[in-house]
Amino acid sequence: MEAEADKPSHLAVIVDLSPTQWYLSAQASNPYPLSIESFLSQILAFLNAHIATKNENTLAVFGAFPGKSVMLYASTETLVDEPPPLDANSYPPFKMVDTTVTQRIFRELDTIDPGDEPPCALVGALTKALCYINRITLPSISTSVAEGSTNVPDPRILILSVSPDLSSSYIPIMNAIFSAQKLKVTIDVCKIYGPDTVFLQQAAHLTNGSYIFLERRDALLQYLIMSFLPPPSVRKVLAVPRQDKIDFRAACFCHKNIVDIGFVCSVCLSIFCQPVPVCSTCRTKFPIKALQRLKSACPSPAPATPRPLANLNNAVPRTTEATNHGTPGLR
Amino acid sequence: MPSIQALSSTPLDIPHTVPDHALLPFLRSQSQNTLTRLYQRPSSCLSILRLLGPLQRQLIMNLLWLESAIPVSTMAAWVVPDGKKLYNEALSAVVGLHIIQNSTVKLALNPTFKSSLRQAITGGGTTSSFGVPAEKDEKRQPVGIDTLDAYALERWETILHYMVSSGQGQLPTKPSQGVLFLLQRSGLMQTTHGSALQITSAGFQFLLHSPHDQLWSLLLQYLHMAEERQMDLVEVLSFLFMLSTMELGREYSADSLSETQKAMLEDLRDYGLIWQRKGSSKCFSPTRLATTLTCLSPPLPTSSTATSVTTSGTEVSLSSTAGPQGFIILETNYRVYAYTNNPLQTAVLNLFITMKYRFPNLVVGMLTRESVRKALSNGITADQIISYLVAHAHPQMRKNNPLLPVTVQDQIRLWELERNRLKSAEGFLYKDFASQADYDYVLAYAKQLGVVLWENTTKRSFFGTLEGHANIRGFIERRSGAS
Repeated sequence: MEAEADKPSHLAVIVDLSPTQWYLSAQASNPYPLSIESFLSQILAFLNAHIATKNENTLAVFGAFPGKSVMLYASTETLVDEPPPLDANSYPPFKMVDTTVTQRIFRELDTIDPGDEPPCALVGALTKALCYINRITLPSISTSVAEGSTNVPDPRILILSVSPDLSSSYIPIMNAIFSAQKLKVTIDVCKIYGPDTVFLQQAAHLTNGSYIFLERRDALLQYLIMSFLPPPSVRKVLAVPRQDKIDFRAACFCHKNIVDIGFVCSVCLSIFCQPVPVCSTCRTKFPIKALQRLKSACPSPAPATPRPLANLNNAVPRTTEATNHGTPGLR
Repeated sequence: MPSIQALSSTPLDIPHTVPDHALLPFLRSQSQNTLTRLYQRPSSCLSILRLLGPLQRQLIMNLLWLESAIPVSTMAAWVVPDGKKLYNEALSAVVGLHIIQNSTVKLALNPTFKSSLRQAITGGGTTSSFGVPAEKDEKRQPVGIDTLDAYALERWETILHYMVSSGQGQLPTKPSQGVLFLLQRSGLMQTTHGSALQITSAGFQFLLHSPHDQLWSLLLQYLHMAEERQMDLVEVLSFLFMLSTMELGREYSADSLSETQKAMLEDLRDYGLIWQRKGSSKCFSPTRLATTLTCLSPPLPTSSTATSVTTSGTEVSLSSTAGPQGFIILETNYRVYAYTNNPLQTAVLNLFITMKYRFPNLVVGMLTRESVRKALSNGITADQIISYLVAHAHPQMRKNNPLLPVTVQDQIRLWELERNRLKSAEGFLYKDFASQADYDYVLAYAKQLGVVLWENTTKRSFFGTLEGHANIRGFIERRSGAS
């Protein structure tokens, strides 16, 4: 059964296009400076390589701009006003991808207000990518059910990130991860610039993808081709590097801080950095006695009279710790 | 009762070797020189890449952007322990095509292939290998995708219909002389005693294949013929590959083609791969048959659905990934309902079912012992009948698991086994032994060699295979000479 072994795959690429981060990335003081121009030419070659490997492969590209996410390219949609003229020296679909993506990126970058820069809308782009995957994998009403189920493209998402973690986006990112798990979408992450991001590490880990921190940034294209081009079936033969240490810390719901030890609502599993009398998510009231006990055990704002150590053992009933694999269910 | 194994029992999650594309063995048989000349064109490299298996493609991609050769061990370090066998197979397949240079120490791509594929992916260069677009002509309407589809379908079905009805003594529209010659050369049809062309058993089997396989087996035959016609194989192949990378619904200029390729235009027009306004026209448009040469998807909308084919260019990519529309319902009582008004599909079904009724959009028939035996005697196998029924099953049938009723599947296979009750073997009968001792002695020797097919002690005779004859004869002669 040839079709099973050699299925077409859908790749959604999310490109983080924060002007500030890319300016910092291009600075000559970095070990391997990488400018956005050189990044774009390498990413376009990667996108073309994905379409080149199979005629039925589909592609969608989303851009995360400051405070705004935009669909830059999709195989099934025409996003530019007129298709580029045919050229005897290039394959029409490649040319289509190249012109559409560059044209739309520059159009968006031109409209960016040079003043205050809001954080990048990575979550928006991720959600759009998931919605798009949902749309193409679900059989449309016009085609029959059987037809759709036999030709589902294998969907994947690749996030190319340059911005640091945005702790306020913890909840939406976790929700996106859960939807991805449900849709059986693999999320791969390539960290091109900046420190490791905790949330994206978790995203890759929970969806069986790979998280790669780009060390040699001059070899971006080779990294992309070797680690992110193979579909899951090929990865069973040619192994792709995985992260062996994953930071499982979560962000609290009240101040959006990343916490080492948190307090979890026993009803809805919301996470707080301090004991609270009423859960802000499910409105559950906690007994005042338990609250006092927790407050006294709270490590950071030291209580006036420190309790003896013996009581500390049962003071924190449920905590999320750095080694804890479970992530709380979110509403 | 013979054991009958279930269809499609391959587990989904284990990657296994994909059967090679039909063209690849042909390419492998070519000299390194020919292949290197072929790899000079970016479009050829791109198309060949798409014909390869997923693992082979990834290996090429891994090496594509490296400037220098890498040690074999570096690449092998990426392979998981269970995948060693698959990896080695994939590697030797690519080496066989001279895409990766044959070396036990270092791995590197063929430099010609590498630079061409890089050029294909990044664009640029001056090879014009993706086809020179024709000048826009304001006076004429550009040709629609509908027209192209209809044209390709009409051409292709003419060929198939001619084949299927030649066995029944009807005379439908004849395809062109070139096509007839090709069919005859490929052994799908033959003339007996100077009479009209008759379909052969290979031809019957051909009819039950998917359109994509049919197209490629004809094209392969065309390539073999091209060698004999002194056509430059590289030109022929690169033209086919160029067609496969062209865009549907565009017109291309024939001016930049070589003489060989201009000659091919006419042949390919007969097969329905190319559309031209006039025979002498300087422009041509590839049809869906041509642009999907390197796809897995069915190249043609089956004509029962041809009317509902989407017209807008944007939806073409969607409809081409959708599967073929099935139309056959098979019931456990051997009844076949085929929702079609296509004479070709009806004719193909008529190869192995007995027709009962016909309605404007429905054909009803029965799978009977006689009808299946008729098909089997035409050289069609039980597996081919079953796979045809599976491939064209109605969407409603796809809800069943297993897809076809097991009783019917088993019965078709049993009918095939019925025909295999007699087995013939060439050999020699040894009889008229002078004494029982002589007979026993020779028989024991023959049994030692393992060449006895049949023996009868009372008649003092036994039957041995052809291979054993020289030995047995020598044995008897030595014995009679000694005594």
